[in-house]
Amino acid sequence: MILRLVALRCFTAALTLLLVSAITFIAVELLPGDVATSVLGQFSSETARAALRMQLHLGDPPLDRYFLWLNNLLHGDLGLALSSRRRIVDILLPRVASTLILSAAAVLIYVPLALFPAVAQAVRHNRPLDHTLSTVTLILASVPDFLLALILLVIFVVALPVLPAVSAVTDTTDLAGWLRALVLPATTLAVVMAVYAARMLRDNLIEVLEAPHILMARLRGLPNWRILWFHALPNAIIPTLNITALNLTYLAGGVVIVEKVFGFPGFGSLMIDAIRFRDVPLIEITVLIASAVYVSANLLADLVTLLLNPRLRQARA
Amino acid sequence: MMPASKAVEVDGLTIDYETGRGRVRAVDAVSFSLAPSEILGLVGESGSGKSTVAMALLGHVATTARVIGGRVRVAEEDLFGLPAHRLAHYRGRRIGFVPQNPATGLSPNRRVGAQLVEVAMHHGVASSREQALLLAREQFTLVGLPNPDSLLRRYPHELSGGQQQRVCIAIAVACRPELLVLDEPTTGLDVTTQARIVDLLKDLRTKSGISMLYVTHDLGLLSQIADRVGVMYAGKLVEIAPTERLFSTPRHPYSRALIASIPNIDRVTYGRHRLRGLLQRRDLPPGCPFFPRCDYAESSCADREQRLENAGVDHQVACQRWSQIPPAGLENGSSPSEAVAAPASSGELIELQNVSLVYGASGKWRGLFRRSRTPVVSDISLAIAPAEIFALVGESGSGKSTIARAMCGLLAPNSGRMRFREESLQGRLKRRALDIKRQIQYVFQNPDASLNPRESIGGLLSRPLRLYFPMPRAEGRRRIADGLLDVQLDPSYVGRRPDQMSGGERQRVAIARALVAQPALMLCDEVLSALDVSVQASIIDLLARLRRETGVAILFISHDLAVVRHLADRTGVLFAGTLVECGPTGTLFEPPFHPYTEELLLAIPAYRKRMRSIISATRSEDRTTTRRGCVYAGRCRLYLGQVCDEEPPPWRETAAGHGIRCHVPLEKLLAVGLIAARGEICCGAANEPRLETLQCAAT
Amino acid sequence: MTDLAVHDTRSRWRDFCRSSSVSFRVGIVILALHLLAAALGPFLSPYGATEIGAGVPLSGISLAHPMGVDQIGRDVFSRVLNGAHIVILLSVAGTALGLVLGSVVGLLSAYVGGWLDEFIQRLIEAFVSIPYLVLGLLAVYAAGPELAGQPVLMVVVIAIVYAPRIARMARAAALDVVIRDFVTAARLRGDRAWSIIWRDLAPNTASTLLVEFALRTGYAPALIGAFGFLGFGIQPPSPEWGLMISENRNLILATPVTVLGPGLALASLVVAVNLTAEGMARMLGRSVDLAVR
Repeated sequence: MILRLVALRCFTAALTLLLVSAITFIAVELLPGDVATSVLGQFSSETARAALRMQLHLGDPPLDRYFLWLNNLLHGDLGLALSSRRRIVDILLPRVASTLILSAAAVLIYVPLALFPAVAQAVRHNRPLDHTLSTVTLILASVPDFLLALILLVIFVVALPVLPAVSAVTDTTDLAGWLRALVLPATTLAVVMAVYAARMLRDNLIEVLEAPHILMARLRGLPNWRILWFHALPNAIIPTLNITALNLTYLAGGVVIVEKVFGFPGFGSLMIDAIRFRDVPLIEITVLIASAVYVSANLLADLVTLLLNPRLRQARA
Repeated sequence: MMPASKAVEVDGLTIDYETGRGRVRAVDAVSFSLAPSEILGLVGESGSGKSTVAMALLGHVATTARVIGGRVRVAEEDLFGLPAHRLAHYRGRRIGFVPQNPATGLSPNRRVGAQLVEVAMHHGVASSREQALLLAREQFTLVGLPNPDSLLRRYPHELSGGQQQRVCIAIAVACRPELLVLDEPTTGLDVTTQARIVDLLKDLRTKSGISMLYVTHDLGLLSQIADRVGVMYAGKLVEIAPTERLFSTPRHPYSRALIASIPNIDRVTYGRHRLRGLLQRRDLPPGCPFFPRCDYAESSCADREQRLENAGVDHQVACQRWSQIPPAGLENGSSPSEAVAAPASSGELIELQNVSLVYGASGKWRGLFRRSRTPVVSDISLAIAPAEIFALVGESGSGKSTIARAMCGLLAPNSGRMRFREESLQGRLKRRALDIKRQIQYVFQNPDASLNPRESIGGLLSRPLRLYFPMPRAEGRRRIADGLLDVQLDPSYVGRRPDQMSGGERQRVAIARALVAQPALMLCDEVLSALDVSVQASIIDLLARLRRETGVAILFISHDLAVVRHLADRTGVLFAGTLVECGPTGTLFEPPFHPYTEELLLAIPAYRKRMRSIISATRSEDRTTTRRGCVYAGRCRLYLGQVCDEEPPPWRETAAGHGIRCHVPLEKLLAVGLIAARGEICCGAANEPRLETLQCAAT
Repeated sequence: MTDLAVHDTRSRWRDFCRSSSVSFRVGIVILALHLLAAALGPFLSPYGATEIGAGVPLSGISLAHPMGVDQIGRDVFSRVLNGAHIVILLSVAGTALGLVLGSVVGLLSAYVGGWLDEFIQRLIEAFVSIPYLVLGLLAVYAAGPELAGQPVLMVVVIAIVYAPRIARMARAAALDVVIRDFVTAARLRGDRAWSIIWRDLAPNTASTLLVEFALRTGYAPALIGAFGFLGFGIQPPSPEWGLMISENRNLILATPVTVLGPGLALASLVVAVNLTAEGMARMLGRSVDLAVR
């Protein structure tokens, strides 16, 4: 029964990705300007441009081009970037890797940052600590991420020159260098994600703590700590997982801002540059990857929810 | 354990709630005590404060409530004066609690066995996990759960309502407490399950000497289990007496009215002493709170505070006029709700022929492709005549709602035919003409859900009017006012919204909404279940009157046979999707019975007393039947053997138009039923169905 | 215990006014200030928004220039004042458009159900899965060079970013309503689809959507700011706050106030709307969830 549900979810995920590729393709089709001109430059000859167009199948009807691209994709051929004529795979991998590491660091900071304040607030519901933390999280959630990044920059680079201004890591940076480069961008990302999750977790936890079965556990004489960790938290965490999935998407895309502010060479800036330079194949691949992150994060969140919530394991009545 | 003179003593307990409207006194100077091994019942309408009292016995009040005065003493200690850790010692260990809704009384993400183990180990009743597991197994067997080993590992949602409640009881008594507090433990369970739980509790008391406080709104239930009963109204304890005395000579006007509204097989009328009006917390006089609704009040009742006075041995009443009120007698009279002579037969109004519905796929085509073809409803044939009230009775899951849904077009039958007024009736709603939709109206179980909370009553009622009968506005307003009057609601209610009315009033609006379309058939799907017992009576009267005055036919779905006795012309009994007995209502209450009908009858407290049958159905849920045989074979006390499992039972008819689907021949059913009714059977061990004795006696 | 806690809407409004929290009142006040600045800012600002040479470049905080002077001599405070109405108008318009599009799609999808609903769900998911900055950028570039930098484009971009998310919310809220008995009752009666959507679905989802609208409007300035910061939103020399933060970014060492000034304006607007929205939600009896990107 679980397998059927899982298979179904995977199928819908694939469908979504297909739709994303279609949407991107359509959007790119609408991009004005002649691709050949922007690649070869304004002063290139018409014959050269025509040759390039032929090579890139630009003259073919859009539907054919779409299926051709899709076909190549499924065979693992990602094609060449238009602007640099390098293999897309070669451009992608280092960027994806960097962003992955950055994301991992961000998640590492994010989990405790979201969990502990939320629990503290829920347990001391409506007391001064709760109000203070609520206000703090609200303010932090309202500050746009680029502003937050800049503020952190000012504090930790200008006021207390502890960390480097630019987190430009290259192949030659050592571990210490990596760590120092990661701190600010990862913290920014973590804070942005954590405030949302912490607010939601607090609300859910408070709601769960008022649920009848929690009252029953108290009436049976069980101690508070046990009730909190074994009876309440597992239930409250479930919606937070969905938020975490959404947050992971944020990592894939919104990281653009952070990368720009701190100069971190990652996937986000690659995506933006691709659009700026009308590098059509690169656009399509990067957007697809970003979407895939969201879709798989959601899938993962759904599966973990299934595990934590035994009620869903039965076939839907 | 110290032998205490009293298990618990409540002394002048007063509890206030803070609501948006100011303070409400939920419990007002309530005092009573409970002796060891005694079962005290506490009865009252919703809002009477009984649940608050129940919780207080565990030292708990809601977060918005405060204890203003009084004490709750258990073993000489006042629970409300105890520090937290001492209170935690009492909770679960010396005082157990069984909640109203078993589903919410268990944590959904932990296995049920683990929950018992947790409690046992925390209170030190078991010193190791193995010991605790043994205890858990023992407890589960004690409460009558089958296959305790496998059940221990299940999650709450995998159990039925009755099983969940047994688990809650098991956890509550696991640490051998002296006192058990039960807050409406069987509300929301099937009538048959209810009866079994009550038996279990009586058993527990006999075996372990535990005392109990049983809180409920169902007075009839208390007659089965309680030694003494206390009646609460608007936070005050208005009468308290041994059960027999309370039922034979109730002294307080409110108690009398409550007792009068219990639907009873014997009494054909409800008597003149029914409850009128509603508890309005805002308008309570300083003296007796029942004054606005009391038929015997005089003006001084409103001003003078009523205190409990002695009205007999161990019998106390809080009414200054108790000695002046004539004692209530049982009334037997001719029934005013006589069946309307069926109109000269113009054919059946609606007919179902061999209708079957498969779970999860309605319609002819989707049913074919379903892999699991468990039928919800199989081979149903029934017919309702114009202006007839037909009742359909069964447990939850028996398929009665499904039949109603098939009739109104929500679910299309997978096989079989339906006819309405001699013409073929479309299964799918989409294919039905508007006028057909008008003629078949549906009233839902829960009026909170069936009325749009954002629409005014006038708006709600105008929608069907405008849809079916285009008419000028003034005319429409008049019709709406008439519609409200028909259901005995003041026409000024047009401007109100559903959340400004009580549950009973909302249900009346739902009925009015159906009625305003001038339907030929009204499908009433458990319309009483969400209402208090006292309000149910008035709705039943309303439906009977509507049928008399407008000639509308009614399909009345219920899980309670007692209720349909006074309302329905014909009744069908449904079990697991099959009609097992059907006929004029009166014939169902006399032998011959289908074994399942008998089980339902036994669950009615008053009837059970009369029959005095001790055959307990411990065979519940233990045998799976093949689809080929009789659906009831797994539970049937007259199980004949292989024939019941293999062959579908035949439909046997008596002369009175009364049919029973059973392999056991009618004569034997008649004989067995008569013997049981005369109370001449006695049984050996309580848990063994003495089938042979019955069969021998019957031949 | 039902009759112990009966509230009706009229008394709830009274309770709310009496018990509204400090944070809500603070939010309302700050919001009022912003609205005032938006309405009167262009008239009250001491210098013009594009007035070059109003002060000595990089001269820091002073009485005449409470937020300093940027590198081409413009008074930052005046620019902030002038930018207020841009931000607020664009936020409200964009969110409103997104709300209309999103709710219609969401409600319809929930009511119709079946294959169409599944398909729309996939479509929504597809849009949501594309990072919003990328979606915005694609839309900006696809619109062509003539429209680039126009406020109208920004409104459309915000609508495109918000509509799928609002649609998802509207659909979820509508699904909760569609399964309730009174909707089934309406269908059984034979009521027509539009009548059910308008009289049953819409009123019962209105409060959710209203809260959603408030929260999204609150976050819209940050969105506009982000686009501006990256350079593909409102174009210079417009005094849009995100753009200003980006332009003055290099001055952060010398005169941080030129960045913090518009930053404070932006952040305080978002905070104000969030506080107000939360208070409003509490009055309507719902819990608020600031997340939901």
